[in-house]
Amino acid sequence: MADRAKFIASVTASLGRSEVLAPPVDNSTAGFEDAAMAKFNADAAMKDASVRSVELADQMAIAAATAGWKIHRAANPEDAADLVASICEQKKATSVLRSKHDVLDEINVDAAVANTGAKLGTTEHSGDNSRELVDQSKAEAFIADIGITGVDYAVAETGTVVLHPRSGLSRLVSLAPPTHIAVLKQGEVLDSLDELFAIERNDFLTGNLAGSMNLISGPSKTADIEGTTVTGIHGPLEVHLIILSEG
Amino acid sequence: MPDNTSNLPRPERVTLFASCMVDQLAPSVGESTVDVLEYLGVAVDFLDDQTCCGQPAFNSGFRSEAYPVAERFVELFEKVDGPIVVPSGSCAAMVRNYYGDLFRDNSSLADRAKRVGERLYELTEFISRFFGTEAINGQLNTSATYHKCCHLLREVGIDEEPLEILSNIDDLQMTPLERADVCCGFGGAFAVKMPDISTAILDEKLDYIEATKSETVIAADTGCVYQMQGGLRRRGSPVQVVHIAEILAESINNAGSAGVTR
Amino acid sequence: MKPLTVNFRSKAAQTLADAQIQQSIEHVYTGFFKGRLAAAGETDNWEDLRTKGKAIKDHTIAHLDYYLDLLATNVEKNGGSVFFANDAEEARQHIIKLAHKREIKTVIKSKSMVSEEMGLAEAMTDEGFETVETDLGEYIIQLANETPYHLIAPAVHKSRADVAKLLDDNYKDGDRVPDATELTMMARKKLRGVFERADMSVTGVNFAVAESGSIALVTNEGNGRMSTTVPRVHVAVMGMEKIVPSIQDLSTMLRILIRSATGQRISTYVTMVNEARKQDEEEGPEEFHLVIMDNGRQKLLEDPQMRESLNCIRCGACLNACPVYRKVGGHAYGWVYPGPIGAIVSPVLTGVKDASNLPSASSLCGACHDACPVKINIPRMLLELRYRTAEGSTDKEERSSSATERRIWKTWRIGMMGRKRFDMAARLANLALRPFAQNGWLKKAPPPISGWTSSRDFPTVSPSSLKSRLKKRKKGEQ
Repeated sequence: MADRAKFIASVTASLGRSEVLAPPVDNSTAGFEDAAMAKFNADAAMKDASVRSVELADQMAIAAATAGWKIHRAANPEDAADLVASICEQKKATSVLRSKHDVLDEINVDAAVANTGAKLGTTEHSGDNSRELVDQSKAEAFIADIGITGVDYAVAETGTVVLHPRSGLSRLVSLAPPTHIAVLKQGEVLDSLDELFAIERNDFLTGNLAGSMNLISGPSKTADIEGTTVTGIHGPLEVHLIILSEG
Repeated sequence: MPDNTSNLPRPERVTLFASCMVDQLAPSVGESTVDVLEYLGVAVDFLDDQTCCGQPAFNSGFRSEAYPVAERFVELFEKVDGPIVVPSGSCAAMVRNYYGDLFRDNSSLADRAKRVGERLYELTEFISRFFGTEAINGQLNTSATYHKCCHLLREVGIDEEPLEILSNIDDLQMTPLERADVCCGFGGAFAVKMPDISTAILDEKLDYIEATKSETVIAADTGCVYQMQGGLRRRGSPVQVVHIAEILAESINNAGSAGVTR
Repeated sequence: MKPLTVNFRSKAAQTLADAQIQQSIEHVYTGFFKGRLAAAGETDNWEDLRTKGKAIKDHTIAHLDYYLDLLATNVEKNGGSVFFANDAEEARQHIIKLAHKREIKTVIKSKSMVSEEMGLAEAMTDEGFETVETDLGEYIIQLANETPYHLIAPAVHKSRADVAKLLDDNYKDGDRVPDATELTMMARKKLRGVFERADMSVTGVNFAVAESGSIALVTNEGNGRMSTTVPRVHVAVMGMEKIVPSIQDLSTMLRILIRSATGQRISTYVTMVNEARKQDEEEGPEEFHLVIMDNGRQKLLEDPQMRESLNCIRCGACLNACPVYRKVGGHAYGWVYPGPIGAIVSPVLTGVKDASNLPSASSLCGACHDACPVKINIPRMLLELRYRTAEGSTDKEERSSSATERRIWKTWRIGMMGRKRFDMAARLANLALRPFAQNGWLKKAPPPISGWTSSRDFPTVSPSSLKSRLKKRKKGEQ
């Protein structure tokens, strides 16, 4: 029976030592950067996202397109709502799920979807997560035609949308339905993975780390059959990114 | 007058290390190497007692046999000063990159080996470094393609330089070889121990060679030359595989060049 | 998974003769290898990233005890459970016991080489759990009852017709072969129901982050996300070396892993799990279990010559670069890890004697070293293992060189230790080969060179050495 202490002692011995020693500080890993440094990096990342928001939104559009997102630019909330509605109509959606992102309220997505005749739901049970309601949530997601979310961050380097699942933002809303629509507000785009993980690390060190994080960079895909890329193996076949410019 | 692109003082005298294969199987490569060096105005000494750098036994895992042979190499070549030139990337790699491992239990011998290695150069490396890749102005009318020998490329770090050197030869029509940097399958004893795999890798190489429709294949290591030539012959192909030293020497001869004036 | 490395030569020969597999494996070069070059070229600091990645791994492995301890502490702090397994058997038993305790019916697996070491899917099926591989490539080979062919593309050797036969009970030879999209949609439909009813998942771990007790999963299909979402119980299995110290390290490691593996800037999905489910989340697993496995890795760790192999982040770039792998395919290597990385870790993890062919199956071209995102010097370790197998190991069982081979190299050494004998041996060889040689070439040579002449002409020895020719030349000049 493996015992933690025994296991680790054995690793220590393999390293030629007799006790676990904290590693001497060097610049190999970011793990040695203290909380102040982490905050500095995170703040710089957020500032950069704000200062260069227009440029980063454009870069995101290009990178996300390369990654397989269908890109839509919206000059204002009404346009964004119209885009959502037209995608719903195009997909002949009857059942739509949305997350609790502020931007979705700002564009009044509920009305836009309602106007297409589709049923709209949110996965949110105000803290009740009995097994029954969890299963119900799951079932709703598996039959939905479209899932609509905002974004928590986006990454221009890779064309990535970042979501931190939480109450009101289920994991399945962006995974189970065959179509996912993400609404991105200008100003939410970070330059690269470095900035994203700087923010995550700072969240961690300040006790605010989300329970999980999903980085989404295009439609679900596989090339396992003869090296041919096919989209929509287990996740969405189609992913739409609506980029909403600042007013 | 060729440009000295490296601004290093040009050696006037070098010691030639033939490599065991060139010495006893392909001496014309060694003679060509001397021709090229003399064309560049460099006098060439040959240590009569030389044999081998020890790589074959080392690569097969028999370090106890490789050790004395390699030690003998160090003893022989540390007695001379100045650069040592070898027409083989794999021998250069052995001395510079692997003697340290072979002699890891003998730090003073490892040090001596390091010092010898510091002044040991593969031929095209030597030419590029001290004389520049435009140093050789020859003439040779043939169509050719160049294979990048693995050790020269990855262990010694010589990539495009031989192609640049060859580009100065008049009438030489070079066609780029697709997958030029993929192994020919030689690998020393591997070619004999696992001949089916070695040949499968070779077949792919030869297919790409034949696709260039070249009359000649140029490479900088004798083992690779033999692997490719042996395979082409077996296919009944007229394509000739020639060591770069021989190509350069022949081109110098054709051009009737008197050589580098100092 | 039981090692069959002893069958390397015969399996290799089989694969060399299989034209369809040879064609399928090409994708590994045209797709993955070329993809890596393009994706790496797109960054303006690829070499710096490799250096950084190597530094992170060197540091982590050098202090693996500290980081394992930290990881376990933090996973538990977040409400997860950690199990340290000495070997595959212990890991497997722990997971099976857990599944029984939690009254699990359906287990979904996403891709994990460590779970292959455990033979987990098979064992769980035998225990009566519906166990389904959900990565499409793994699903295909599960249906085919085979082992993975490649670290990243497990079914790379299968043609569409092969896959059609596995996915569609009604498909027969001669029917129109469905295209890849049709086959993929077939698999999507089949697996959808499985995701809905799964109550336990087993995933791998690409990187475990010690400072936060998190795991990161790199996937493209969505099955990894399903696995960290739908079941009540999520079990993540990892080799004990798959740790990085910090969350921030992930930006470097993800870049070099993904660009090296498939040539993408990033995989479609990267999932980070910090804890199973927050109090008020509407879904997500109720429990998170991390199984950390040794299974022989300590042998690599305590071996200063081999320790660097633990830096491997399992990207498969060395496979894609290897001219030998691209001819003999993944199954020839006989165990979980094929290609150059397999050639150095399998002999140590499974016992050198069985796997002694693997380090010899290399031309030492160095393409693997070039390709490795963390700069692992695989050729150096191949040579080290050759040394141990030939003569260097203190364990007699590990030394598998034949008496003939030892004699050959002894004779070689004697011949190389003096110029006179070197010359004499060469002249004798020239004389001996003369009757067989035509224009300096042999069609048939005696052993040990006979292997060469089975497929290539062999050059004969020169009648005169370079030494004698240079002497003549000097005389001529005087």
